[in-house]
Amino acid sequence: MIQVLISGLFLGGVYALLAVGLSLAFGIMGVLNLAHGSLAVLAAILYKKSLVFYSFSPWTFCILATPLFLGIGFLLHFFIAAPFRNLSPPSATVASLIASLGVALILEDLFVWWQGWEPISTYIDFPTIQLLGLKIPGMRAALLGMAAVTISVCIFFMKKTDPGRSMRALAQDKETASLYGINPGITALSAMGLAAILAGVAGVFYSALYPLSPREGIDLTLKALFIVVAGGMGNLRGPAVAGCALGFIESFTGLLFTYTSTDIVVYSLLVSYLVLKRGRRRQ
Amino acid sequence: MILTALALSATAFSKGYAGIFTFSLVINGIMATSYDIPGRSLDFVSLGHAVFFGLGAYIFGIAVSKGFSFFPAFALSMLLSSAAAGVVILLTAGLSHGYYSLATLGILIIFQRLFETMEGISGGSAGIYIPEPISNFQCALLAAFLLLATAVGHAVFSCSRWGFFSMETKADEQAAEVIGIPTRKLKVLCLMTGAVPACMAGILYLARTSHVSPVSGFSLTLSITALLGSRIVPIKGVLGPVLGSLVITAAEEIIWTKFEGFNLAWFGLILLGAALYQGLNFRELKKE
Repeated sequence: MIQVLISGLFLGGVYALLAVGLSLAFGIMGVLNLAHGSLAVLAAILYKKSLVFYSFSPWTFCILATPLFLGIGFLLHFFIAAPFRNLSPPSATVASLIASLGVALILEDLFVWWQGWEPISTYIDFPTIQLLGLKIPGMRAALLGMAAVTISVCIFFMKKTDPGRSMRALAQDKETASLYGINPGITALSAMGLAAILAGVAGVFYSALYPLSPREGIDLTLKALFIVVAGGMGNLRGPAVAGCALGFIESFTGLLFTYTSTDIVVYSLLVSYLVLKRGRRRQ
Repeated sequence: MILTALALSATAFSKGYAGIFTFSLVINGIMATSYDIPGRSLDFVSLGHAVFFGLGAYIFGIAVSKGFSFFPAFALSMLLSSAAAGVVILLTAGLSHGYYSLATLGILIIFQRLFETMEGISGGSAGIYIPEPISNFQCALLAAFLLLATAVGHAVFSCSRWGFFSMETKADEQAAEVIGIPTRKLKVLCLMTGAVPACMAGILYLARTSHVSPVSGFSLTLSITALLGSRIVPIKGVLGPVLGSLVITAAEEIIWTKFEGFNLAWFGLILLGAALYQGLNFRELKKE
């Protein structure tokens, strides 16, 4: 049972990382980016391909790939956020949802063409840690630590640095933020870049823990959305906690039932949560 | 005229490649027109319209495999799938736009996985095979009739007071509530008017093809086809989705035959193009 709890915590850490990026994009630009999970899959594929040439550790690869994912985030911004900035908020959200779904579908086919149907796994053998009679895989513990550090850095960036404050100001009131000299275009662009980096990091970590299918991008995004909706759109701590909760739920359901049942439970929870708590227009 | 021509061609070409093409054209027409009722009236973007299609197909398949003949199975599955659709709609009707899209996508995946899991009833991932319950000609005739009925339903809804109520609600929901429009009732009615033809399209699809699986019944591609069919031709009324489904079915045919392995990517490109067109179009309007 404790082993399942630990496994859930590791998975939850990676989900939290994915959700934090998604929450950032939604909070600041109102973009529900369905291609977020596909960026994670892209990072996993790139990491796997890079291992052929040099055996990078996941964290080294994440640092090296940061400029690339920043660029991808900027590019994505021009397709799924910038064209809709003049629409009313609900219309902009729906338009970005459709555009990002389009991008996700394009990427899924490209991934299958590039990588084939074979699941992407970048597992590297790491010594196992013995703690209080429990066997903890060293790689998972290290990745959980890295995920926690990345989320903490992100929270620090948002709270204590000027660009982070600009992003929060833009999320709260676009017009007032503009009056204070914040450039909405550049700030939104930076937020999208940061979200893409976080998706990349999550993808590399995920593939180091579990095999990832090239067509799993939309599935990953939906799970991340569940976390974001449960944890609260636009803030970063809520998704981190909700990510861990989803990790536990998946691990326990996987232990009790089958893989498909895990999906049924997770998506039923997502829909129930949406129906009961969020999305009510009057709220 | 276009509708009548479509309906006539569906019955005239009930065999061979032309028969398959016109049948998918009519099914896409039904899906796009039924999608357009809540889609255009309330600006709801559903990513799970195929849920109703899949429910209709599966319930019909289960009924036929239990020994029911075509018409009792048709009536039973229409009733049961409409009831199930009603439950789904009652759950989601209160959601706002982005959340509604997410919830419908979530529900689509739940149903897909559920029917994959229930192997004893639904045949699991392989799906259900049934013997041909009616001839291809009868099937094409019923599909053509359903398309005409859906188009009439669309027109009647748009011209009725509920159609005007929906325009008000789309413009400003709070203001609509203030002037006494029952917005929740309107949404449920509007979504149900769109869901029932989709359930019936699922039944006819299974009757024609004899096979349905969780992936083909509860298909995201089918939901996207309906969405695109409804939005791609910017003409108001019934003509928009009918012409849209004509464009999409032709595009789908080319994509499936000429770009094997990149079907989703092409759909993605069309979706992206449609969304960008909407964004750019709005900018032009603002400039004017």
